[in-house]
Amino acid sequence: MNHVITTDGLTKTYGSRTVVDSLDLRVPEGCVYGFLGPNGSGKSTTMKMLLSLLRPDRGEISVLGRTMDRRTRHELSPLIGSLIESPPGYGHLTGRENMAIVRRMLGLTELQVERAVATVRLRDQMDKPVRAYSLGMKQRLGIAMALAREPRLLILDEPTNGLDPAGIEEIRDLLTSLAGEGVTVMVSSHLLDEVDRMASVLGILGRGRLIFQGTRAELFDRSTPDLILRTPDPERVLALGLPAVRTHEGLCLTGSSDDDTADLVRRLVHHDVPVHGLHRVRRSLEEVFMDLTGREGLS
Amino acid sequence: MRMAVGLEVHKTRRLSVWVLCLVMVIAVVALSGMNLFSENAREGFADPAAQPWEFLLLNQVMISAMTSPVLVAVLAGRQVDIEHQGQGWFLARVSGLGPGLLCRAKAVVLGLALTLTVVAQCVLLLIAGLVVGIEVAPPVALWARYGLFLLLVNLALLGLHLWLAARVDNQLVGLGVGLLGAFYAVYALLMPTWVAYVLPWGYYAAISPVAMADDQLIEAAPIPWAFALFLCAVAALFLGACRHLDRAEGGPA
Repeated sequence: MNHVITTDGLTKTYGSRTVVDSLDLRVPEGCVYGFLGPNGSGKSTTMKMLLSLLRPDRGEISVLGRTMDRRTRHELSPLIGSLIESPPGYGHLTGRENMAIVRRMLGLTELQVERAVATVRLRDQMDKPVRAYSLGMKQRLGIAMALAREPRLLILDEPTNGLDPAGIEEIRDLLTSLAGEGVTVMVSSHLLDEVDRMASVLGILGRGRLIFQGTRAELFDRSTPDLILRTPDPERVLALGLPAVRTHEGLCLTGSSDDDTADLVRRLVHHDVPVHGLHRVRRSLEEVFMDLTGREGLS
Repeated sequence: MRMAVGLEVHKTRRLSVWVLCLVMVIAVVALSGMNLFSENAREGFADPAAQPWEFLLLNQVMISAMTSPVLVAVLAGRQVDIEHQGQGWFLARVSGLGPGLLCRAKAVVLGLALTLTVVAQCVLLLIAGLVVGIEVAPPVALWARYGLFLLLVNLALLGLHLWLAARVDNQLVGLGVGLLGAFYAVYALLMPTWVAYVLPWGYYAAISPVAMADDQLIEAAPIPWAFALFLCAVAALFLGACRHLDRAEGGPA
């Protein structure tokens, strides 16, 4: 598998505080890579280092097959569209004038700009000053600026911030369709559900370290779902000394592996406990994420 | 650099840069030329000993010392604030343009605006003097030298204010510094000569082409080596600061 972004031992420290710690990212080509992590986990810092806006203290970054540093930044920048933190846009200028600045800055054609504006569906708003834009419109303009150069890689930090549900849906469709066209999209979001619905590969950060990286299915494999035992006689189960907790669904057993489950069934049969049902709980991505990040919550 | 300058020209739209310059030209010409309409002054229009042009020039020195620091601070603040507010530093960085390059380009564009402002002030004051009837030959060379020195001091302070505006998000800081600078420039005109060489704003007084001596105005000039040293130091500091901004991480602030 080709990787558009690879980092090895990427580390960034401010004083005695390590913000990003030995990160080994692998972002496959043509996918939407969801970059998740609680507030302050180092997502934005990582993205800034990938764009060479911040210098790593340790580690290597390779983007589109080339080492990314201050010397190669100028050659790689035209191939990377990005949106970090808040969207860019000069408030006193109209959307059209802002796009004209981007066009001149990157030596783009009118057609490229028009196409980017049409993609984010902002055509009708281009003659308004940007200060009159809603946050959602500013986000779209920022994405149009990132798309105008027809990048091979898009790095977007919270691109759905401030968008209404319809706007979020549009951006999600846009990013997945871009990935379908071969553009690699790395997107961070505080909306887990959002990332879950568009990303094919996930990277989860916790306290600056990469806790997980892989597909959604691999993520669920990493976390053992709870076991729910339905029985009309829970007292007898509890008397057996099993680490079960009463819930409205039945008795809940956490951290039971498949072997533990087989052993449990054997013991229940041996003690003649009536069992009405035994199943694993379907867990949301959020629950898995909370488990992995030690219940730090989301940004 | 040419592209960056072009972008800065594009960004000046709706920033009222030209309106501010025009207002400043009108203010300087009106305030400096107020005395032209007094009876006392009119009586000396044909008498070289009354020094009508020299007094007009001295008025311009005082009014320029009062207004130029504020104009420079406002122009630099407005042109840089758009980068802070609009994430312009980031946009430029990811497009291969460093903050230092943006600051240099802003210096070129605002420098042009200040050049036109100073030229307009000097020319309009000369025309005003001729129109109201001063018959004595105008000291064009002296006036031109003052205009050039005023422009150089403006450009030097523009560099300082651009750096300050880039480093400090809150543009009221730059404006406050400009206002204090204006007070200092005016007081330096009234204080012993050496005071004018202590702070950059004092050079608005140091470049005065005329000075009072026994109720008469005599020709004056700044200490050449001090003035040259000031200009070279500010130019070196500005270019060094721009280089540092280009090498620094993230935005300049």
